[in-house]
Amino acid sequence: MTRLTPRARLGLVLTGALAILWIVPFWWMAVAALRPAAVPVLEMGSLLPSWPPSLSSLADAWDSADFPVYYLNTTVMVLGILAVQLVTVTLAAYAFARLRFKGERVVFYAFLLQLLLVPPIFIVPNLITVVDLGLYDRLLGVMAPYFVSAFGTFLLRQTFRRIPVELEEAARLDGAGLLMLLRHVYLPLSIPALVAFSIVSVTSHWNEFLWPLMVVNSPDRQVLTVGLASFTQNAESASDWSVMAAGTLLVVLPLLVAFLAFQRRFVNSFVFSGLK
Amino acid sequence: MARLTSLLSAATVAACLALPASAGAATAIDFFFPVPVDGKLAKEMQRLVKLFNEEHPEIQVTPAYTGNYDETKIKAQAAAAAGKPPAVVLMSANFVYELALQDQILPLDPMIEADGTSKDAFMEDFWPALHKNAEFNGHVWAVPYHNSTPLLYYNTDHFQEVGLDPDQPPVTWQDWVDAAKKLTVRDGDQVERYGLTMSGSYDMLGWTMSALTMSNGGLYYNPDWGGEVYYDTPSMLGALTLWDDLIHKHKVTPEGVVDNKGVSSSFLAGQTSMVILSTGSLSFIRENMEGHYKVAFVPKNVRNAVAIGGASLVMFKGATEEQQQAGWTFANWLTTPENLGSWSRFTGYFAPRQSSYALPEMQQFLDENPDAAVALDQLRFAQPWFATYNTVAVRKALEDEVQAVLSGTKKPKEALEAAQANADAIMKPFVDSTALALPN
Repeated sequence: MTRLTPRARLGLVLTGALAILWIVPFWWMAVAALRPAAVPVLEMGSLLPSWPPSLSSLADAWDSADFPVYYLNTTVMVLGILAVQLVTVTLAAYAFARLRFKGERVVFYAFLLQLLLVPPIFIVPNLITVVDLGLYDRLLGVMAPYFVSAFGTFLLRQTFRRIPVELEEAARLDGAGLLMLLRHVYLPLSIPALVAFSIVSVTSHWNEFLWPLMVVNSPDRQVLTVGLASFTQNAESASDWSVMAAGTLLVVLPLLVAFLAFQRRFVNSFVFSGLK
Repeated sequence: MARLTSLLSAATVAACLALPASAGAATAIDFFFPVPVDGKLAKEMQRLVKLFNEEHPEIQVTPAYTGNYDETKIKAQAAAAAGKPPAVVLMSANFVYELALQDQILPLDPMIEADGTSKDAFMEDFWPALHKNAEFNGHVWAVPYHNSTPLLYYNTDHFQEVGLDPDQPPVTWQDWVDAAKKLTVRDGDQVERYGLTMSGSYDMLGWTMSALTMSNGGLYYNPDWGGEVYYDTPSMLGALTLWDDLIHKHKVTPEGVVDNKGVSSSFLAGQTSMVILSTGSLSFIRENMEGHYKVAFVPKNVRNAVAIGGASLVMFKGATEEQQQAGWTFANWLTTPENLGSWSRFTGYFAPRQSSYALPEMQQFLDENPDAAVALDQLRFAQPWFATYNTVAVRKALEDEVQAVLSGTKKPKEALEAAQANADAIMKPFVDSTALALPN
């Protein structure tokens, strides 16, 4: 039995404290969402559940917006973006990692420059492009600007560079072409990075608000974040905290469930991908 | 040969007869609307649009929920710049001036006159206090849709508890401070109940500062020209010093920036006795308040005066003639006395048309809900909501400084000097191209 050193014990205590701190907002959200409607607002801040729990706020939240449509639209959007990104990111990463061409460094730096630019300044130019492509008020119009990802390209390029060149040379000796190289050598060895990137992509686009707001008009094409905003946006009036918490829980729940179900894999992916 | 010719002629005639069917397709328009209150209103608005579409099969309105007031402006302007102008937008009433200035919205005069009336006759039914935010340079640019004034909401149970008459709310700032002191409950240095809480949220903060400054004799901004605001003035200095004193001297108001939800929640929870909120909160407070409350005018120092809030319908340039006509039909339908009355009862905003209040449903509603009548009474003292060149940035120039005062990091005088300087810098391009653009 190894005795914990004081330093290790302190580390554990701090980690535990941070974990508790991190989980408190989620706990409050779940507790608030399940509070009976009649509970006085004074008790709304409490972390102790009310008994018996009530589904009335969840029912109100569900009724206040078209959640089934929002879930479908958001899922289609994030998975569609991811599917295209995985193709473009993989090809671009290979080009930057292994191909030699004139101006390669300049192009790569130009690519990286995208990471520094703040999305809001692109709203009008991107919207004009989307309109010209005939994609206004379409989910495809929301998705299109994200079909390439500088972050994903950079991440995967670094991963590809760490794969020994000898593996590629051996495969080429066996007659492998470019696509076969990617499919049988680079991609299998890069699964942790691909999973890490997928997590970041899905999470960031699931949570995105402003760009979907700009592109989509039709209620039946709306996404979760804009639907949720109709609960939480507030300039002149007040909101029911229970219904707000319930609405937020409905938006966050799928990602939370996915994280809990696959958390070991998620953590492993981040560790191996160097994103720690 | 003759038979073939006859056949071709018949086919041609049939083809011509078929044309009217395809030419009769509905005119599609977008309607952008913010919902500065909770989700039930977004749903109600969509229900109204569906009802309109059913009654007018020749028009197809797509209702698009567009965030808060500021986001709605961004989205509408971006859509117009991208070549997809929304035919109708429910726009914060004080953004109309700037959109007209930038030539982004249509003057409504031609459509009003095409209906066989004049713009003066058209506006006559709307409360006089609403005209300024809808008109500019002799034209009508907006149709008021839902409007509000700030109100003092107060807990009558707390009033009785400390010996204040619940039917005699504070009228002057002195009354207000005295009441707040009496109502504040302390446990040593700890405040258990604040006498008064006001919101520090963007938009609401600027609006509340308007009300306090106007009540202190000031104007806040030049209502006739978009290049001047009056931040560094005695009237606003007095208003901000009052708020600062309530926090740091009398200690009857919480320090820091309390957001809108915090204000309403603490009022409902009985943690504060008085709050300033919009008439737009009336329905929510009425439905959720456990104790007893009443509403009153915003207390005055020099005079009774508050700024109108709310939103109006505007039409963006760039739409086709058919879309403009469809948009006008829709805007008129939304703003019938009956529909405005219904929306008012549903939301708590007051109805912008005076004739809505002649309806029996409205009379009954006011009888049952006297608090709804207070905002109407306050209309006698209502001023237009501040509107300048680059309204949002000019407003935030003030709000950022006021938030610093509320947090105790700045004094009122230095804050307002900075706000004035920053606002003037923002308006400089407009000022240089108008008031300071002199003949050679």
